[in-house]
Amino acid sequence: MSIWNYVVTAHKPTNVTHSCVGNFTSQQELNLIIAKCTRIEIHLLSPQGLQPMLDVPIYGRIATLELFRPHGETQDLLFIATERYKFCVLQWDSETGEVITRAMGDVSDRIGRPTDNGQIGIVDPDCRLIGLHLYDGLFKVIPFDNKGQLKEAFNIRLEELQVLDIKFLYGCPKPTIVVLYQDNKDARHMKTYEVNLKDKDFVEGPWSQNNLDNGADLLIPVPPPLCGVLIIGEETIVYSSASSFKAIPIRPSITRAYGRVDADGSRYLLGDHNGLLHLLVITHEKEKVTGLKIELLGETSIASSISYLDNAVVFVGSSYGDSQLIKLNLQPDAKGSYVEVLERYVNLGPIVDFCVVDLERQGQGQVVTCSGAYKDGSLRIVRNGIGINEQASVELQGIKGMWSLRSATDDPYDTFLVVSFINETRILAMNIEDELEETEIEGFCSNVQTLFCHDAAYDQLVQVTSSTVRLVSATTRELHNEWFAPEGYSINVATANVTQVLLATGGGHLIYLEIGDGVLREVKHTQLEYDISCLDINPIGDNKNHSQLAAVGMWTDISVRIFSLPDLNLITKEHLGGEIIPRSVLLCAFEGISYLLCALGDGHLLNFVLTTSNGALSDRKKVSLGTQPITLRTFSSKNATHVFAASDRPTVIYSSNKKLLYSNVNLKEVSYMCPFNTAAFPDSLAIAKEGELTIGTIDDIQKLHIRSIPLGEHARRICHQEQTRTFAICSLKYNQSAADDSEMHFVRLLDDQTFDFISTYPLDQFECGCSVLSCSFSDDNNVYYCVGTAYVMPEENEPTKGRVLIFIVEDGKLQLIAEKETKGAVYSLNAFNGKLLAAINQKIQLYKWMPRDDGSHELQSECGHHGHILALYVQTRGDFIVVGDLMKSISLLIYKHEEGAIEERARDYNANWMSAVEILDDDIYLGAENNFNLFTVRKNSEGATDEERGRLEVVGEYHLGEFVNRFRHGSLVMRLPDSDVGQIPTVIFGTVNGVIGVIASLPHEQYVFLEKLQMNMRKVIKGVGGLSHEQWRSFYNEKKTVDAKSFLDGDLIESFLDLNRNRMEEISKSMNVAVDELMKRVEELTRLH
Amino acid sequence: MLGSWPSLDPHNFSQFKPNDPSNPSKMTPVTYNPTHDRTLSPPDQVIVPEEKNILLRHFYQQAEEKLQMGAKRALSDNPTPERASKLPRASASDNV
Repeated sequence: MSIWNYVVTAHKPTNVTHSCVGNFTSQQELNLIIAKCTRIEIHLLSPQGLQPMLDVPIYGRIATLELFRPHGETQDLLFIATERYKFCVLQWDSETGEVITRAMGDVSDRIGRPTDNGQIGIVDPDCRLIGLHLYDGLFKVIPFDNKGQLKEAFNIRLEELQVLDIKFLYGCPKPTIVVLYQDNKDARHMKTYEVNLKDKDFVEGPWSQNNLDNGADLLIPVPPPLCGVLIIGEETIVYSSASSFKAIPIRPSITRAYGRVDADGSRYLLGDHNGLLHLLVITHEKEKVTGLKIELLGETSIASSISYLDNAVVFVGSSYGDSQLIKLNLQPDAKGSYVEVLERYVNLGPIVDFCVVDLERQGQGQVVTCSGAYKDGSLRIVRNGIGINEQASVELQGIKGMWSLRSATDDPYDTFLVVSFINETRILAMNIEDELEETEIEGFCSNVQTLFCHDAAYDQLVQVTSSTVRLVSATTRELHNEWFAPEGYSINVATANVTQVLLATGGGHLIYLEIGDGVLREVKHTQLEYDISCLDINPIGDNKNHSQLAAVGMWTDISVRIFSLPDLNLITKEHLGGEIIPRSVLLCAFEGISYLLCALGDGHLLNFVLTTSNGALSDRKKVSLGTQPITLRTFSSKNATHVFAASDRPTVIYSSNKKLLYSNVNLKEVSYMCPFNTAAFPDSLAIAKEGELTIGTIDDIQKLHIRSIPLGEHARRICHQEQTRTFAICSLKYNQSAADDSEMHFVRLLDDQTFDFISTYPLDQFECGCSVLSCSFSDDNNVYYCVGTAYVMPEENEPTKGRVLIFIVEDGKLQLIAEKETKGAVYSLNAFNGKLLAAINQKIQLYKWMPRDDGSHELQSECGHHGHILALYVQTRGDFIVVGDLMKSISLLIYKHEEGAIEERARDYNANWMSAVEILDDDIYLGAENNFNLFTVRKNSEGATDEERGRLEVVGEYHLGEFVNRFRHGSLVMRLPDSDVGQIPTVIFGTVNGVIGVIASLPHEQYVFLEKLQMNMRKVIKGVGGLSHEQWRSFYNEKKTVDAKSFLDGDLIESFLDLNRNRMEEISKSMNVAVDELMKRVEELTRLH
Repeated sequence: MLGSWPSLDPHNFSQFKPNDPSNPSKMTPVTYNPTHDRTLSPPDQVIVPEEKNILLRHFYQQAEEKLQMGAKRALSDNPTPERASKLPRASASDNV
């Protein structure tokens, strides 16, 4: 049963909702603070650009964000209010590098109608009070005392009920607000109030302005010396103050965001709904405003926030497209634009729809999203793990090892690829035509298996076989010198670097050689009590050619030991525990930290922090990478060193923010890997897998890869068709240039590799695509795209007409072969028992696919089910139909074959306004609703009475804090059936903020364990701003707030891995589970996404 | 009107190397997981919802003013208990 669910973020929110600039982290430092709904990011301005400092999760949806500086402070403080009526004032403590809470609290009222136009939170420029407009008719004041401390909050009655904006005015002796509002005749006005803190009331302000632009929506207070306020309308911009009134007409546009450029408030950047960036200038003489001017600068993403940073560089935050860093140039470019885009920050939001497909047919899901809106609409291909882009491949069976060699020590490129087999060694090399061909290195022994190879100093190469170590000239390829294993012993394992060779023979003999010019010197020989299973002397110290430490893995006592070189003194011995021998050890350094990695025969990997000065091992961590023995190798990509763990589940180990991360490589099984950096294939890897040798380049090393396909229009529905290797999308294009805001809707066909539009079917005027499905019907082998539409007439409240269109893809073209008119919008289409199930307004309708006399087919209505407000989301399983209603939560219908009827079986009687539904299993259904909650309901087939059976029981509730637009079954990661996480069913979701998340249905035992861990994590990781995790995750709507149940917060649980050792031990003690075990179990969960 | 863009620190962005805009920025800040106790503000800086609504506050204010005026005039009459007994009804009428 899928009752026990684990919710985790695979891709964090990227929708930028707010941004501001100030001295937050220090008096001297200028910061950009970005809010991404439930997170804030702190950046530092530097000569190199924006430097990311911190990503701060907030246990709330940020409603307002402002930097301010109380009297006597040297640094700015950050004021945040959340949509659930919590607020906090945050301060940066530069000594500890921590965010501390100066003040916090609850600003909710028991009675009050939440504002329609969003919450307003503002700080008086003279820091006398914080003002909040959260409920109609109320203005909440949190006063400051003269020491900058907050005092008791109180409400003031605000007469204006339809408030559009409120701002504090600058330069007023008493704190004064300016209110932009709409009256009951829909006319817009502005007035000012002084806030009398003593009487806790308003006093009529210095001036007001009636009958403004009907589209006036935004106030910009102007700082001294000018003071006053700008009122931004759709057709005019007005400057107003007690003594002055200026207005200019503008081209009709809706201003979405503004950013002040000059401290004196004479210039502002305005971003409109089409992404056009304007500069608004207040002209003035002797501190008196003489007029307004506006100039078009150019185009950006559609802005939700604009922050002028410094030296003509501006941050443009966007909710509808990628956020940008732009530069304002003094001269226009060829297109007349003053805007130069310097940098782009990916934003997947809003994810309106997505599908999960396996484009590369590797058994791994990729998510293709409909992202962005308006002109910034795009498709995004989101893929987990690291891809290998194959350049060349040859069939080669039985590879036992691979090494690349150079033809000279200082050659930047590799020349030879040594491939070892059970009883021979073959050498491949790049020829002049940049082709790989077989060659020979005469000095090498080619009729035996090679145990190890390496470039050696003095233009030499070294080869280790079971009986000898051979030193060969890289130029003449002739043997220089040879070292023989002692009589009666054969070499089992060996390793080498440019100047050193370490090898082990049977009987526990460990022998250390040094490489000279033409000579191999045996420097040290020691005998250990057991046989040696693996070795490494990768230099990680200052000397890149020479290691002072050797790592040795042992049979029998299952230990890993560190020896000093050259004297082979044992300095550290670490027992690994268990019965699985270490199969590969590696010394490596990431971001200045040295590690010892030790891979076991069962696919587990242990890592230790290594203190190079004394060889001490600490911070042991264990993760499970696969189930087969792992071979570790370092490689370089983009000037950084990473480790490749070859196994049945190849993984790249890398470091980010001084933490080791593991990213899947999107290959099924890799037995060996070695870097092969040639002129023809720079930065490539040679990979041995499944009887094949592949040369390929590796993707950027990161967990999620996102590819953008800009469409220039807004894609709203997407569907993949495996058989024709195409996508179909429903999209709309806004006509920006026309005087009237016309829009055109299309069904488009895209190639699933190139993402080019290959065919387009334009919809009728006023007709828009609502749903798209790829399916086939009973007694017909063709696959079709079915598209559901609605005619959205301006005068209608709900569509009364729509169509179901059936397309077939022929010669890469969409051919309409059938259509059926409907009496409303076709919100959803599902393949159902070889028929087509449509949700049309309040009805569920089943269509049969009936042959006609002429051989063609038509849709024939079979049966339906009424009784919904609007049936928006439908999922089916067998004969069951789960409907997500506009406002009546989830209901369960059943199709009865004999009677040819659809009947309601059960429903959830809560009034949830649904945004997505999915069927987790036969009995459990998952829903998302418009208050950002998730819930699960259960079919109660065993109920004693009809009443009980007719009720879907709510079994899980959780506040996600995200608006989910779509659930899809699938997985972002390759699932191995024999791994633990391979058995866990998952659902992927996409949200308005661009979050891609995973809901995993856990076995009950695991859920209980993790619930306990979550409880402990809550005590250790504190909510920033004093916000409580428990409250944040409680199910919350206008009617009720109840504790989360049957859902766990994977983000909190997985942050266990970021804790320091002491904190981990604290939790381990309280849970009575070893740290290692906890880490392993949490690490496994991170493999779900 | 363009130009002379404000500069707080001329060094900012001076060595900025623009990325290829088709290749989005991959910067990822460290996720902050505070474990310290100063995520809670000092107790006197915890703001709680107002107990009294505006109308009640108004009544109390009036009562207090009257009391003060009364105290000035004479100490004989004491309106406070009478006021207090009316509070529930005053609260109910608040929504009108």
